[in-house]
Amino acid sequence: MKEISLRVNGEERSAEIHEEMRLLDLLRDALHLTGTKEGCGEGECGACTVIMEGKTVNSCMVMAFQAEGKEIITIEGMATKDKLHPIQRAFLEKGAVQCGFCIPGMVLSAKVLLDENPIPTRDEIREGISGNLCRCTGYNKIVDAIETAAGYLNTGGDSNA
Amino acid sequence: MLKQVGKAEIRVDGPAKVTGRASYPQDLYMAGMLYGKTLRSSKPHAEITIDTTEAEGLKGVIKILTFKDVPHNHYGVLFKDHEVFCSKKVRSIGDPIAFVIATSEKIAHMAIEKIKIDYRELPGVFDAIEAMQSDAPKIHDKGNLIYHYKLRRGNVESAFDRAAAVAENTYRTSMVDHAFLQPEAGLAYLEGSQVVVCVATQYPHFDRQEISEALALPLDRIKVINPAVGGAFGGREDITLQIHLALAAILIGRPVKAVYSREESFAAHSKRHPMVMTYKTAADAEGKLIAMEASIVGDTGAYASWAINVIRKAGVHATGPYVIPNVKVDSYVVYTNNPFAGAMRGFGATQVPIAHEQQMDILAEKLRLDPIEFRLKNCFKPGDRTATGQLLHHSVPLVECIDKVSEWMNQNTGADGGAIE
Amino acid sequence: MAPLSVYRGAELQQVLKLLQDHQGKVCIIAGGTDIILKLREKKLEPEVLLDISGINELKGISEYSKQLADTGLDGLKRITEQTMIKIGAGVTFSEIAKSPFFSQNLKGLADAALSVGSPQIRNAATIGGNICNASPAADIIPVLLALEAEAIVRSREKEETMSLQGFILDKGSVKLLPNQLLCSIAFSSLKENQSLGFAKLGLRKALAISRIAVAAFVEVGDNAFKNVRLASGACGKIPKREYEVEACLEGKAINDGSIEAAAELFKQVLKERLRGRSGAEYKGEAVKGVFKEALRKALGYQNI
Repeated sequence: MKEISLRVNGEERSAEIHEEMRLLDLLRDALHLTGTKEGCGEGECGACTVIMEGKTVNSCMVMAFQAEGKEIITIEGMATKDKLHPIQRAFLEKGAVQCGFCIPGMVLSAKVLLDENPIPTRDEIREGISGNLCRCTGYNKIVDAIETAAGYLNTGGDSNA
Repeated sequence: MLKQVGKAEIRVDGPAKVTGRASYPQDLYMAGMLYGKTLRSSKPHAEITIDTTEAEGLKGVIKILTFKDVPHNHYGVLFKDHEVFCSKKVRSIGDPIAFVIATSEKIAHMAIEKIKIDYRELPGVFDAIEAMQSDAPKIHDKGNLIYHYKLRRGNVESAFDRAAAVAENTYRTSMVDHAFLQPEAGLAYLEGSQVVVCVATQYPHFDRQEISEALALPLDRIKVINPAVGGAFGGREDITLQIHLALAAILIGRPVKAVYSREESFAAHSKRHPMVMTYKTAADAEGKLIAMEASIVGDTGAYASWAINVIRKAGVHATGPYVIPNVKVDSYVVYTNNPFAGAMRGFGATQVPIAHEQQMDILAEKLRLDPIEFRLKNCFKPGDRTATGQLLHHSVPLVECIDKVSEWMNQNTGADGGAIE
Repeated sequence: MAPLSVYRGAELQQVLKLLQDHQGKVCIIAGGTDIILKLREKKLEPEVLLDISGINELKGISEYSKQLADTGLDGLKRITEQTMIKIGAGVTFSEIAKSPFFSQNLKGLADAALSVGSPQIRNAATIGGNICNASPAADIIPVLLALEAEAIVRSREKEETMSLQGFILDKGSVKLLPNQLLCSIAFSSLKENQSLGFAKLGLRKALAISRIAVAAFVEVGDNAFKNVRLASGACGKIPKREYEVEACLEGKAINDGSIEAAAELFKQVLKERLRGRSGAEYKGEAVKGVFKEALRKALGYQNI
């Protein structure tokens, strides 16, 4: 066992970890942030995507001890208490959510994509979410949602359109 | 008058899903909860004896369930041909043999490795056509043929004699997994006199019946809760871990959780039936279809699941959306030692287009007809009858659909004949 | 088996000391995208897991000058200055893909980096990890072979430079002693008439393991191939140089005829190499297209 500390969704957290634990296990089992999903456990599906130091990673492909001192954002860090993030709102409005298991990862991939490229083309959006599988095959609506979200963010993120 | 129809509504479970608050079974945790792990067969066909002694001695192992613990050791959608845990023999790789309940997932994994299974391998059969032979190894006590669907209309033989073009080919489709994104998981616990099973499922009421029957408990002692379901596509119509979890919670009295890995998920649930489809299709000189004969053999693997319904549907849809006056279809479904097949999107109607549409292209070429023209000449229109005798008197918008597709193709095809994205 | 201990390396010297002290018991983890799977499948059971992803000395892409002793046509030795490009072993594929160093005639390197996995994988996976994993389908190795890159390896005592080709011994095996660490990769920067192309055939666009990858370095003069270096991935046990095909192009005029002839030869070479293996027929045919794409891209990066 080993004690580590890291920043998760803006808060200092510390946890006892097993040496073999992955970041995914740390988030889910130790911190009970279960919005991060395990779909394949081998970096293929992207359901476990989190943002680490501003970049998306598969949390099943990062050992927990490697996250010591890192800044992590999970899906739980996207909305404030009473307000959805514009990306989340766009996903709802565009019908981009079906079974929902890919959605936390999709939303976080979309966030980093839009942070780096505020006005992406549809092709760039597809590339940006190419590490996230949606088995309900709802990709078109997800791309629509990210396009819409880009619009919200570029107009200050507060449009209620 | 209509409040919702025609409007973009926010789905009720949407906000929970976009914020990560939605609970899938793997997201449920309870105080004092134990972890379950399934030992699965590594052989496709073998007699087995099970020795759990060493595994039971491992610190942290609470109990290991085997067939001996199950009051009625069977379940299944159409036939009760699955065993909850294999008793005398395994019929496919992945068959559940034992379920370890331990204080941690890690200990459960270690215990699995310490269970000794003595496999005495039996000859297996992995090809559906071979499985139909009389001397093929038998998967269950009765023969391997589960069902034969026959469709007869007109006289195909005389029609073939006067055909201008005949195409005769065999097509094979592969086994397909649904690969829904959320691997199976569940949590079972006791609530008063009831056992509660939280599991992502397509049929909570069927699950309840299956649990009740296997455990020999009345229905009102069993509650199935269906939290968020991470995709299913037919792959959650059969039992996977429901009975294991319910039994564990009842025998131990503590909450028990199990989460499958992606690999175990592939081993545990059904697949789309692979089919071998031999087609003979004929048209006259005007390009009208006059006869079709098809033999379709579906491989349901070791268990029947929805085999009859799926293979019947394949037979019913064998002609595709075309008017054919003379039709003879025989569709069969058989047991093999492959992973079991069941429901998956289309339910038998997905495989046959591989055959009937290629037949259409090949016939069009033989007749020197444009393949779209050829389809328009033969496709269902209002007032037509299908091979099964159904009169299509309502909306049949196939011509409209083909027209739109060909219009799009004409506008969007590059000089090299390839589609423009 | 001893329980696993884990360390996060902060400085190179500390890591090299740990490697020295626990020889053979340490497993290095950088991006983790290959290692974590092996650990979970128990294909690797190390006593110590040593994370090097936070070590600054292994980061960064830079240029430096190297003096080369050269013997001219007149038989006289000269010292020439060669600009080298160095990539730290801990540089991720995302960093390579975005680096201004790998635009224009070196864009093949960025293309190869971009063809790896997905954004998430590229953000974690490192060039050093991809090399040391020595998979037959490693995407970054063919381009580095075509560049005749060098591997720079360090132990506590000394630094050693060797050709990358010599560094990769076999499938999954590299020439690294238990106390050594791969620290960087270096290769000569390209001249205006030199360029690098990369093409890959995968089962789909993202997250696809290479079925065939080809890297092509070309040096062009008088509308002819002056110098060609080709390397393939997933066409044998390890990524390798394709000398026979190179020879077929060298000195030839740049036209469809010469490229087609080389493609045909590539097909024969590959079919011979993969004889008796499933996929030999398919790969033989497919390599023609992948090779031509790599070559065309290389020429395109010089506007030819």
